[in-house]
Amino acid sequence: MATLILTPEHQIQRLNAVLNKVGELQELSFAQWVQVPHAKSWNLLEVLEHLSIAYGLYEEKILRALHEAPELSGTPWSFNARWWQKFVIEGQRPKGTKRPFKMKTLKRFEPLLNREELNATHGKIVFAEFLVNHQKLKASIIESRGKDMNHRTITSAVGPLVKFYLPEAFEFLICHAERHMVQIEGILATPK
Amino acid sequence: MEPKNEAVLQRLFKGIPFEKKEVRPFLNLWNEYSFKQNELITEAGRIEKYFYVVLEGVQAIYLLNQKGEKVILGFSYSGSPSGVFDSFIHQKPSDSFLEALRPSKMLAIARSDYLSLFDNNPHFHQWAHHFFRDILFGRLFREVELLTLTAEERYVAFMQRCPEELKVIPQKYLASYLNMKPETFSRLRASILY
Repeated sequence: MATLILTPEHQIQRLNAVLNKVGELQELSFAQWVQVPHAKSWNLLEVLEHLSIAYGLYEEKILRALHEAPELSGTPWSFNARWWQKFVIEGQRPKGTKRPFKMKTLKRFEPLLNREELNATHGKIVFAEFLVNHQKLKASIIESRGKDMNHRTITSAVGPLVKFYLPEAFEFLICHAERHMVQIEGILATPK
Repeated sequence: MEPKNEAVLQRLFKGIPFEKKEVRPFLNLWNEYSFKQNELITEAGRIEKYFYVVLEGVQAIYLLNQKGEKVILGFSYSGSPSGVFDSFIHQKPSDSFLEALRPSKMLAIARSDYLSLFDNNPHFHQWAHHFFRDILFGRLFREVELLTLTAEERYVAFMQRCPEELKVIPQKYLASYLNMKPETFSRLRASILY
């Protein structure tokens, strides 16, 4: 399996692309925010809510690991993802405009938005929370550039079978967000 | 603004005959910012907010290739202009990063203030003509060097003209700028006198 070299700059660039994309989605109408291609599909707001939930399960662990990681005096890190973590990450990464394979969402990751009560005000809150959460993720990546990534690993949100160093956790979350940006494109492209 | 910082601006904008009453408003458009070593001044994917003039330090402008590796496009250093200019002008997300390779102090002017210079003083158009002409010729010269010189010749040509403060930044940045592997740069540094 080819090596996967992670760098904070590559992650920041891609996270900015996601943030810019969500900024554009924010300009769409409420009707587009809640449109679904079929009854079982999530709408755009539910996807963003799901991404906020996913980030939330990592936030504290990321901040703790960052706090504990020793300061780095040289140039920012470059990290070779380990094979099992790489496998998990690649499972998330979209291939062009396609998601490699669909996954069943675990209960605790499901967005619990009540579609009947959803309105534009709720929608704006979902967007605001997404943007705040992912700005925090970016701030953590930026902070990590001054830290040594040889720290205690963090347990992933899927369980103790997958443990991440911070660069792997960042990559997983960004690939996950990129994957769902592809899903959103699909939702919006499907005629009602 | 400190006199030495005013002098840096005067050097960059030499040729503009400011009237006495114009000097203070012009200087007031600039704010000083400090950046730590390795701090990202501008991120790829964000819009460049400022046109900078460097007071201290060295900065690299680079983009990431398909593999996510840094490709160095250029450096800025004391007295030179800096920033991601295409993003600044077009107000589109930058393709490049601007990073402080050394602790840096820079004077910055916001886009609306930068554009107001041209509206309020026609001499800035003349300044811009010379400024962008010099940048264009510099980029063409670099392109010719990259296309026609050997790695050794590129190394010697660069080391002969580059300022001292640039020679002490990490080798991998200089190697990338000269389109050679860090190992090649290291070998040339150890064996070539310039």
